[in-house]
Amino acid sequence: MFKNRIVGSTAAICMLAVFSTPTVYGEANQVGNECFESRDGKTQVTQKEVAPGTLNVRCSPTTGGVLWWGDPFDGTIPMGDMPASVDADYLHEEAVVKPREPEIDRNKLLTVCTVACHNGEYVPVPQSKEPRPLAMHQDIVPDSMKLAHGKGAIWCLDCHSKTNRTKLIDHFDNEISFNQPQKLCGKCHGQVLRRWREGIHGKRIGMWDKGGKKRWWVCTECHNPHDVEQGNRQSGFAQLYPEPAPMLPKGMPNADHERVKHGPGH
Amino acid sequence: MSKDDSKIDETGSVSRRDFLRKAGTYTAASLSGAAMLLSDPKPAQATQNVTWAEHFQKNYRLMTEEEKQEAIDRLEKRYSEEFGKTVTVDGSPAIDGVLFGYALNIQKCIGCRRCAKACVQENNQSRGPEQEIEWIRVLRLEKGEFDVNDRDNAGYPEGFGVQVGGNAYKPAGVVLEGQHYYTPEQVPEKDAFYMPMQCMQCEKPPCVKVCPVRTTYRDPDGIVVIDYNWCIGCRMCIGACPYWARRFNWGEPNLPNEQMNPVTHYLGNRPRMKGVAEKCTFCIQRTRKGRWTACVEVCPVGARKLGNLLDPESDIRKVLQTKKVFRLRTDLNTYPKFFYFMD
Amino acid sequence: MKRFTQFIIDFLRAGFTGGAMFWAWMLFLSFFIVLWGYGEYVQLRDGMIVTNLTDQVSWGLFLASFVFMVGVAAAAVTVVFPAYVYHHHELHKVVVLGEMLAIAAVVMCLLFVTAHMGRPDRLWHIFPVIGIFNWPNAMLTWDVIVLSGYLVLNLLGGFYFLYKKYSDRPLNKPFYLTVVFVAIVWALSIHTVTAFLINTMPARPMWFHSVMPIKFITTAFAAGPALIIIVFMLVRKFTPMKIADEALHMLSQIVTWCLGIALFLTLSEVVTELYPSTEHSFGLQYLMFGHNGLSGLVPFFWTAMALMLGSFLLLLIPRVRRNLAILPFLCIAVFVGIWIEKGMGLMLPGVIPTPIGEFTEYVPSSIELMIVTGVWAIGFFVLTVLIKGAVGVLLGEVRYQEKAAS
Repeated sequence: MFKNRIVGSTAAICMLAVFSTPTVYGEANQVGNECFESRDGKTQVTQKEVAPGTLNVRCSPTTGGVLWWGDPFDGTIPMGDMPASVDADYLHEEAVVKPREPEIDRNKLLTVCTVACHNGEYVPVPQSKEPRPLAMHQDIVPDSMKLAHGKGAIWCLDCHSKTNRTKLIDHFDNEISFNQPQKLCGKCHGQVLRRWREGIHGKRIGMWDKGGKKRWWVCTECHNPHDVEQGNRQSGFAQLYPEPAPMLPKGMPNADHERVKHGPGH
Repeated sequence: MSKDDSKIDETGSVSRRDFLRKAGTYTAASLSGAAMLLSDPKPAQATQNVTWAEHFQKNYRLMTEEEKQEAIDRLEKRYSEEFGKTVTVDGSPAIDGVLFGYALNIQKCIGCRRCAKACVQENNQSRGPEQEIEWIRVLRLEKGEFDVNDRDNAGYPEGFGVQVGGNAYKPAGVVLEGQHYYTPEQVPEKDAFYMPMQCMQCEKPPCVKVCPVRTTYRDPDGIVVIDYNWCIGCRMCIGACPYWARRFNWGEPNLPNEQMNPVTHYLGNRPRMKGVAEKCTFCIQRTRKGRWTACVEVCPVGARKLGNLLDPESDIRKVLQTKKVFRLRTDLNTYPKFFYFMD
Repeated sequence: MKRFTQFIIDFLRAGFTGGAMFWAWMLFLSFFIVLWGYGEYVQLRDGMIVTNLTDQVSWGLFLASFVFMVGVAAAAVTVVFPAYVYHHHELHKVVVLGEMLAIAAVVMCLLFVTAHMGRPDRLWHIFPVIGIFNWPNAMLTWDVIVLSGYLVLNLLGGFYFLYKKYSDRPLNKPFYLTVVFVAIVWALSIHTVTAFLINTMPARPMWFHSVMPIKFITTAFAAGPALIIIVFMLVRKFTPMKIADEALHMLSQIVTWCLGIALFLTLSEVVTELYPSTEHSFGLQYLMFGHNGLSGLVPFFWTAMALMLGSFLLLLIPRVRRNLAILPFLCIAVFVGIWIEKGMGLMLPGVIPTPIGEFTEYVPSSIELMIVTGVWAIGFFVLTVLIKGAVGVLLGEVRYQEKAAS
């Protein structure tokens, strides 16, 4: 079959790309070390010196999560055009984002796979948005017929451009950059977009004061767009390794008494 | 860095705020000033070189501008020698028209404790193993459980006995038995939610009231600060705080040279000495320069918000307007400026 | 002035004169005082990390000892009050010994507080004028005022009386009585303010109730006179000073009734806290029954209760109370019982659990024990010297002689 042949040839590249290898965290906080900002494996940052003796980020030696930004704007680009019809801080302040495209393209997902696979010939442009089982991309969407996001109400091409896999699409099939997922997510989650615009949903770092430069976190930096709820935990976030517990007070060998299950009559 | 700032300060708040608007200047300038000399690995003894002048200086609140500058110069010199790198000590006063407020989304918090660790990176607390100080503590609260089989149906026991009532469930959201030493494989756990606590920067702080020497006081921007050089270590403040926000330097703090954050504020993250109290200052060295606190920046789920309560358009005010918020122990009339909210 | 200098010299000489027994006692105390010196040195050098105090349990043995000792100091009033207000003749003769005890107790209080401070080198920060005295806001500044005032009043009252006796001159009655009566009220104030120091913190619900000041005073007026009875009996035994049985009986009555009231207040507290069993009672529950296996204080609490209740019931029987062979043992029982209940038994459940509900056990470190026993040794050392000197003056052995002075 046509699909099987792909697996044999080009897929090797794509497979390599998307199977995330477990990150091994060596000595924390040295140049060249890699750690993650919010989503483990999806928001990677490489440590480098931004000033003599100061790293762009300091990382946790135990979990590999970023703990401290020496430069909150390291590796950012302007947020890009946002609708001016509704007011928001980003319209009159310097607003920057960490581009998502290089992250997605870390293993050449965007460039190679789109050129090699989704070029309209190797994989023809789909004629319909109807859900169907996927042979590919099962690492991202394990069972495509049960896409977690939308509970069957939406499918791949409601968000991804069918003609240009390096782009997302809005309601009018206009292309949206992976760097601006807020434009996509806001299609349905208007309330969340509004709170994000106001700065009370999501995350911003940099300068808190009015007029100060801010780095805005975009949707996919915190949430997995293919599975936002994360099962029945419904937390919206994938599980992370927690940082170590605080030191026990002197004289206390453990905190078992604190963990005792609350019995009746508490 | 700090000298530049103080010049700007003297020209008035307007120009200083202009300065602040030049976003990122803070970062770049402070970083370039920090020349790190990693060649000296011996642990710093923060009090070994304290001069007589430092020992007999006045309470910071009562110093004249000149005296403040002298005290700051003394400290910059001492810290730079001790930590083997250029350490700046900032003395920026409260920004006019700013009252800091904080909001934490407990629905979002996943209990990863990165805020607690980021705070240590930023604020030069003592590292373990002798004494480890963390200003933020993340409490784990159980979601509770109702089980038809695991309950006590008796409202009154038979015969002689005291009324006990039913026990049909495991209690939800019990704060008092906060299990903050939780060590699950991964967070968030299915059966728990989390509530980080730190200094609430009360408008009527009990700690300030009980301090016999007024070394801790509320600055005009609402931050409760401590002059570490004036503290006598009586720990009245630790006893009076209903939020268990204060920590004490029981011994000489352990702060390795290479981990020391050289951008400091006199009332904030400058290295402390043994025998004094300390606590969260909303990263005064950052926030008074317009930058967000370390905990706000590190939170991987964006649960933490800080802003100016006097600005109706600030994110903190928008949280208060649009979300359901609560504060801890409002019965004590401490008026915390630390709000918890839910989506 | 010359006469006063001579008085001090003669007083101290009398204080430091004694037989082999006396010197053995002083040597014994000196051993612990040397240990105190070492403990203080280590704590000053390394910081309070040498104690077992933590951020969770930040007040411990030092402050517990302080609170208890303030009560002992205040208890001098149990001698002074009957003597001057009820004109109790026998107590009137020994009133100055009570004042000497108060002086020694206040000295101990000051040493305990100094040991409790993280930065004793900065103690000058609290002095008015050169430092900042956060009065009237901070309760601790009130405590500084009443304690130092009490020390001054007792030094003044006691030594004025002794000096006049030494010089064989009449007392200036209006002046002396003013000092005495101010001191009586002041004695109440020191313990009241010490109670206010800890019961004005709603963050610590175990202490946050208005029974605290009166309970402090009743326990003080039970433990204090119990100690005074023992001291008086020792004075009777080891010096020619005569102290009438009547004085001891008066004091033992005070012990009995104050102990009874203290027990009643404890009962009130227990019922008020345990009946509703709110989270605010967790401290008391921890003290009485422990918490999830943490039960370090439980045996102490019940020991204290047994000692207090047992000795109270025995003291209620007149034949037992008036039996001077049994009385000292009952006094020791009362003293130890209250010492436990009002010292560590009061201090620790106040800070356990922490305001966020963490239970942490605390056992004093060897340095803490060293310092505390050392301060007790200093207290007894000072008390011995003061009492010997005072007894010398009262008996007329130490008196001003023109020739000796010239």
